[in-house]
Amino acid sequence: MPGRSRRARSAYGAIAVWVIALLVALVATIQLRSQAEVERSLQGADPATLAFSIDQLHQANDSLEVQIADLSQQQRALQSGGAPAADQVLAAEAEQLRVIEGLVPVHGPGVVVVIDAPGLTALDLQDALNSLAFGGGEAMAVNGLRFVVGVPIEQTDSGVTIAGAVVLPPWTIAAIGDPNRLAETAELMTQQLHGDRRVREASYRVAADIVIRAVVSERPFVYAVPPP
Amino acid sequence: MRSVARSQLVSSALVALVALVVGFLLAGQVKAQLLTPSNQVARNQALIRSVQDLERANEADRQRIAALRAQIASLEADAAGRSNATQTLQNQVADLRAHAGLTALHGPGVQVDLAGGPPSRDSTGQQRYLITYQDVQDVVNLLFAAGAEGISVSGRRITPLSAFSGSGNEIVIDQGPPLFAPIRIVAVGDRNRMQAALQDPSALPSLRVRQAQYDVMIKVTGSPDLSLPAYDASLEAAHARAI
Repeated sequence: MPGRSRRARSAYGAIAVWVIALLVALVATIQLRSQAEVERSLQGADPATLAFSIDQLHQANDSLEVQIADLSQQQRALQSGGAPAADQVLAAEAEQLRVIEGLVPVHGPGVVVVIDAPGLTALDLQDALNSLAFGGGEAMAVNGLRFVVGVPIEQTDSGVTIAGAVVLPPWTIAAIGDPNRLAETAELMTQQLHGDRRVREASYRVAADIVIRAVVSERPFVYAVPPP
Repeated sequence: MRSVARSQLVSSALVALVALVVGFLLAGQVKAQLLTPSNQVARNQALIRSVQDLERANEADRQRIAALRAQIASLEADAAGRSNATQTLQNQVADLRAHAGLTALHGPGVQVDLAGGPPSRDSTGQQRYLITYQDVQDVVNLLFAAGAEGISVSGRRITPLSAFSGSGNEIVIDQGPPLFAPIRIVAVGDRNRMQAALQDPSALPSLRVRQAQYDVMIKVTGSPDLSLPAYDASLEAAHARAI
């Protein structure tokens, strides 16, 4: 009897060792597989970044489709009309480009954002204008000074300058463009600014017709050579 | 005998309890460590496929826009050949297009290459070794302030309405697909002024700090002749009207 009992105990022991070994192997396998899969999923980008890309690409592709429709219409007008049609198309394009390049006074719907804070820098103003441009701003001015990308915003001893002119706070930024998109952007921007301890005031209002009279000075090319 | 039987019963109950606990732990482990990442991987793959589909559509649209602009320019040139007034208008528009970034340019300038450093996290958990859209925005603004007459970022031309955005290491410019570092910024203009501005130790403070602390790469190369491509996406002011 004692012999049978020892054999039985040793058999139980062996089974227990196998079961434990199996469990350890199972847990280790699961752990290794899960880590490998997590690493693979991070190879590209995280879901938030991918979701941002999808949203941005949808909006971008919609804009591209609108541009294709407009260009196709111009092409049809040119194909069917000769010189008078060409003059019309060229005059319309010239006007559009003067608006885009900030060379003429403009008006239209949009938002007016007011930011009052001591110690804001040129980088802060660039960020604010970039946000509004990404939010659909087509024409912008800060304290009455016209801004388009390419107009220098610099930090000087006198403060922030736009094309060499000092813009003292409070900054009143007028942005003409899609009022709904601009309002969303301005809402987010002012919320973020309220979290900045330097900011005394950050507000915005949507306006049905904003007038920007300031223009950008033309800068003829000195170094750049366009195609012949 | 009865006490031996009782102790066997207690042992069996203990083994059963331990087995149950191990079972629960295993189930939890499987659920948390295997199933969730598998779902995450599947979700990520679906998202990546969506991004790739949208990028293909984006590329096709931009090619179509470039082709349409070329066809329109050709039709306008034909019309200009038949009328002096049209020729005058066409010259004006050509100049405006060049300044808006709608035509290719070449000339002297600088090339700025930006690349992230080796992966690491700072004490706040931020990935400051990455190149972000704000870094690109800062370099572009600095170059314009230092006399750039035209700029492209990794082959995407900057226009008067260009805007930068992004998430993490993703850099989005206008309606183009996301860009990732290494990023090449090419600027045509006053080469000496742009090089001096880029070498100014007070310029690009964020990038310079991260260059020292996280090995972020900023490489500046001057050149007597650099080329910029034409802008190939949407450039319209649908709400702003000339007074």
